[in-house]
Amino acid sequence: MRPARMNKIRAVILDEKMDSVIRNLHESGLVELYDMSAKLESPEWRAFLAPATSAEYTRQIATLMIKIGRIIDLFKSVKEEEKTSIKELLNPQPPKKKKMSFSSAEEAISYAEKVLSDVDREVSEPSAKLTKLENRKNELNLLKEQVKYLQDFDVDLKCLGVGEFVYIVSGLISKDKLSELEKSLDDVTDGYCEIVKGNVVVSENEEKVPVIIAVLKEYMDNVGAELRKLGFERFEISNVEGTPKELLSKINQELNNITSEIENITSQLRKLAEKWEEELLAVYEVLEIEKERGDAYSLCGRTERTYVLEAWVPQKYAEKAKEIIENAADGYAFVEIAEPDEPEEKIPVLLDNPKPIKPFEILTEMFAPPKYNEVDPTLLIVPGFLMFYGIMLTDAVYGFLLTLVGLFLWKKMGKVSEGAYNLGYILTLAGIATVIAGLVTGGYLGDFLYQFLGFDVYKSGLALVNPLGESAYISEANPLFKMGNITVNNGPMAILIFSIVVGILHLFIGLLVGFLENIKRGNKKDAILNQGLWLFLILAIVVGVAIGNLTIIGAAVVLVILVCMAKGFMNGGIMDALLGAMDITGFLGNVLSYARLLALCLATGGLAMAVNIMAKLLWDSVPAVGIILAILMLLLGHTFNFVMNGLGSFIHSLRLHYVEFFGQFYEGGGKKFTPFKAKREFTTP
Amino acid sequence: MVFENPLILGAIGAGLAVGIAGLGSGIGAGITGASGAGVVAEDPNKFGTAIVFQALPQTQGLYGFLVAILILFVFTSAPAWAMLAAGIGTGLAGLSAIGQGIASAAGLGAVAEDDSIFGKAMVFSVLPETQAIYGLLVAILLLVGVFSGPGVQEIAALGAGLAVGFAGLSGIGQGITAAGAIGATARDPDAMGKGLVLAVMPETFAIFGLLIAILIMLGIMF
Repeated sequence: MRPARMNKIRAVILDEKMDSVIRNLHESGLVELYDMSAKLESPEWRAFLAPATSAEYTRQIATLMIKIGRIIDLFKSVKEEEKTSIKELLNPQPPKKKKMSFSSAEEAISYAEKVLSDVDREVSEPSAKLTKLENRKNELNLLKEQVKYLQDFDVDLKCLGVGEFVYIVSGLISKDKLSELEKSLDDVTDGYCEIVKGNVVVSENEEKVPVIIAVLKEYMDNVGAELRKLGFERFEISNVEGTPKELLSKINQELNNITSEIENITSQLRKLAEKWEEELLAVYEVLEIEKERGDAYSLCGRTERTYVLEAWVPQKYAEKAKEIIENAADGYAFVEIAEPDEPEEKIPVLLDNPKPIKPFEILTEMFAPPKYNEVDPTLLIVPGFLMFYGIMLTDAVYGFLLTLVGLFLWKKMGKVSEGAYNLGYILTLAGIATVIAGLVTGGYLGDFLYQFLGFDVYKSGLALVNPLGESAYISEANPLFKMGNITVNNGPMAILIFSIVVGILHLFIGLLVGFLENIKRGNKKDAILNQGLWLFLILAIVVGVAIGNLTIIGAAVVLVILVCMAKGFMNGGIMDALLGAMDITGFLGNVLSYARLLALCLATGGLAMAVNIMAKLLWDSVPAVGIILAILMLLLGHTFNFVMNGLGSFIHSLRLHYVEFFGQFYEGGGKKFTPFKAKREFTTP
Repeated sequence: MVFENPLILGAIGAGLAVGIAGLGSGIGAGITGASGAGVVAEDPNKFGTAIVFQALPQTQGLYGFLVAILILFVFTSAPAWAMLAAGIGTGLAGLSAIGQGIASAAGLGAVAEDDSIFGKAMVFSVLPETQAIYGLLVAILLLVGVFSGPGVQEIAALGAGLAVGFAGLSGIGQGITAAGAIGATARDPDAMGKGLVLAVMPETFAIFGLLIAILIMLGIMF
């Protein structure tokens, strides 16, 4: 019910043993290293401790990681689109783990260097070739683009450029500027100019004309300036020969060759990827781990011959962590286990629930992890969350489907994803709760049995309550109970009363936890004013209803309002007193909010009924294909209803906890415990 | 009197339930959809997320549809005014979808930036649905004749529908607050608790409406 108790470990370690200590702590993943750098700025610490720096080798590792990362990226880029088979999709397997253990960072680095050079020897040639081919391909594509515009010209492209006497240039000019071009070139070249035009083409949403311009060499500069002015797009064609058509076919030929060559090299690389990728991923991971270790030094302080290390450790692992340090240092270490020496909000929070409850921690963490000295509400969430979920979805068939979805996520996807594991576990239990609720309320795809088979589960007594009307057990003739002018003689009323009672109980638990918490911290006044008051009101309501005397409830309400007003008055005068009087509506609001259990329960059943009715109408009124339409309607309609209400139930169940329940006792906002731990996906130590 | 035939009031009620709630859902889903289109343009992988958020403001329309079907079902047994009241209550309260659309749009925007905030954004986005749920609740209570205070058979029932319906418009305000709270939570995850408290405030008025509706149905007049 509380986050794990923490201890602080302080250790002084001989410098030559430090590496081994860090390696062993990292492998064990028991502690969270404490960053001492802020502390070491103060003069009294400064006097005998200096901040340590990351290990020397981390820079070397970073360089290696970049190199290896580049090859991994190359391998990824040549990989064929992986077709995941349905079987794999339904049953994903985590990647195979390679055994890799090194006794020092240097060893890991030299291994990585060896692998890198082995891989590089095989990969560097094809990869350089690939780059070259791809560059050539781009070049050719560019050239092809330009030469295409000149297709209709029957010239030898060898002539383009600066010759002995003439300068020939080709390019695109916008159609509107063509006459201007002709005129101005005529002017600057004194008529020694020849312009050959091609057919109009559309390029970048503009009509353009490809042209070849030949002028005397001496006018070259003037012509160039003129062309720039008119927005002439010059083609960069040089060192080629033959007519454009000939050249195009040559280019295409070469492109084809290059494409097939690229394919060759890609498949060669693909083979290399198959051979090396696993190894590289594993090495990369090892390097990552070594880097994290190297960086860990910078969190510590040091003297000439020793390191000083501080770390948070959950109390139950404190002794074990101490042992690990001492063993790793061969006794050249002094280790002390101390109580937390920091203010509450700086102590990391580790939720510590038994295994069956653990997956629900994601619900708590989604709101906010508790503060170190606060209650961990995870255990309190579980029964309410499942029950509310069940009541809001209430359909045995939907519940069964949800259980299947949950099991799939939990057992299959859960192998590769922790999130899926947790969610799957929660959904499986929620599905079971829904099945139970569905059995109680007789919901099997809504009223499917009645619509299509004429079987009435409510009259036959197979279901306890009918959310939309009467059942064999609760009906006009057979009311559940009577009080004042409220008669509980049908399903909705019974579920409404049930919802309100559950709500009051739920709030009562929340208030009680808050009350005890406040008492524990010595805030008696807060306990009584913030929680005690409402606990008293709830008790008065229970007693009042039990003995059938409503004046008790009335009196309690008046008393509570008066206390609230007094509380407000003490805080800040008349206005606050008036606002205080409104506190009671807040409480009422909390209680009534639980009425959503009924409303959403009805919404699922009602919409399922609507789907069934429409399907029945199709079945009965459309000849021949009516049956197919009806089946389609049922499939689509129920899937839709299942998804919408399944989602809605989840969030509304959460909301009841976050807003109404947590509001009574929980604040949250702790800092999560993040262990110093080697993350291993592809390797085992 | 025009309303002698109970079917007329029932039909109007069914129409209003689907019509007004559909209007609200349409606007709400439109607001979220606009945000969704922007998000998907940035990152096509977010399509699924966009759909989930856009589904939220559509539930109001579903509730309207559900109540309309129910009205058609109880034509012969339910009091005529209760049918009209159920329709108006669900319909008006369904306009809370506008607020939900605003909140969902903000939630989607936040999730587009940071996936890990999905659950929180979802909780905030679903807050303005409470109003619609209260509308649905009152409608069903009216239709199944649970509360049989003296006025419920007659025009007083309309009061219950109007109370829960108009008070349900507080959902628009709640949506705006929730949108702001999502932004705050996206910047600072610890702000969720306080953001929830602020975002739940506008719900008070929906609760007033629900309370008055229940009192009317019970026939309690002080």
